Amino acid sequence: MDVAPPKNLGELFTGFLWIGARSFGGVLPWAYRTMVEERRWMTHADFTETIGLCQFLPGPNIGNASIVLGKRWFGLAGSIVAFLGLMALPFVWVLGIFILYSDYSSNAVLSSVVTGVGAAGAGLFIGTAAKLGRALAKKPAALGLIAACFLCVGVARFSLLAVIPVALLLALLMARRGWL
Amino acid sequence: MNLLELALYFGLLSMISVGGMPSIMPEMQRYVVDVKGWLTPGDFIQAFAVGQAAPGPNILIASLVGFKVAGLGGAVVALLAMSFPAAVIAWWVAELWDRFKDSPWRLAMQKAIAPIVVALILSGGVVIATPASPDWRLWLIAGVSAAGMLASKLNPLWMLAAGGLLGALLL
Repeated sequence: MDVAPPKNLGELFTGFLWIGARSFGGVLPWAYRTMVEERRWMTHADFTETIGLCQFLPGPNIGNASIVLGKRWFGLAGSIVAFLGLMALPFVWVLGIFILYSDYSSNAVLSSVVTGVGAAGAGLFIGTAAKLGRALAKKPAALGLIAACFLCVGVARFSLLAVIPVALLLALLMARRGWL
Repeated sequence: MNLLELALYFGLLSMISVGGMPSIMPEMQRYVVDVKGWLTPGDFIQAFAVGQAAPGPNILIASLVGFKVAGLGGAVVALLAMSFPAAVIAWWVAELWDRFKDSPWRLAMQKAIAPIVVALILSGGVVIATPASPDWRLWLIAGVSAAGMLASKLNPLWMLAAGGLLGALLL
């Protein structure tokens, strides 16, 4: 299968616009479908590696991917165009839905439904944490670190700005000793 | 004034948001609800719900918080503040990252960050499902959704829909 990067900025923009427009239930699968399967901008291996890096960087992974890929193909202009393309339609959708909802939020049933959706969304986070945590389950040091961070952030509600530097330093020391 | 504070704080969060939006949800909730009182706990879970259910990167939850604080301008500023610092880091680090492919520090860094991200995402879920005082009904919905996600390969939208239905019945 031949793959070729987008020919110009316009193509880059519409590609990312199309990803954002359809991304119900998560952006990543649509990014894959658009860039690897439909437009053939990149290979499967390339996509996986790029997303792997982007998950590790701060920021939303797909937002980072738009910056990294835009830069690779068209430099600074590419990063800006890809990012704007990705965000433009979802920004309009999400605000539109929210404004519409705000008009009716005094409706008790609707408010219950939306709160239920929020709780289910929180459940998806818990499920994601469980999925990611499975890979670490055999490492006592990792489990201890997870428990400690959770107590600090989730229960005691300490600020992340204080917890992250300390946790990261500890974790780096543990990793260098081969505990993680 | 609120807008400037919001921009600075979200900019700071952007730089530490490893693992994406889920990692910083507990901190965002703490700041905008507990510390600043810009949103009520109920507002926050509902903005989160709309951000999760609508298509698009979930970073857009930040723009809903911004909208609540300062209208349309707040929404734009919040999104940019949340995106820009992380984007600058991505721009610079992507190449470095490739260059240090085999460096022991890169490996150590990857291993060090993994458990922290797990803990932060877990905290995000628990904090959002506990908006004010503990409520077993919200925990039940969250538990059902987490179990559904782990046990099946369904599109997560189904879990959100089930949560909405349970919300209508229970809440």
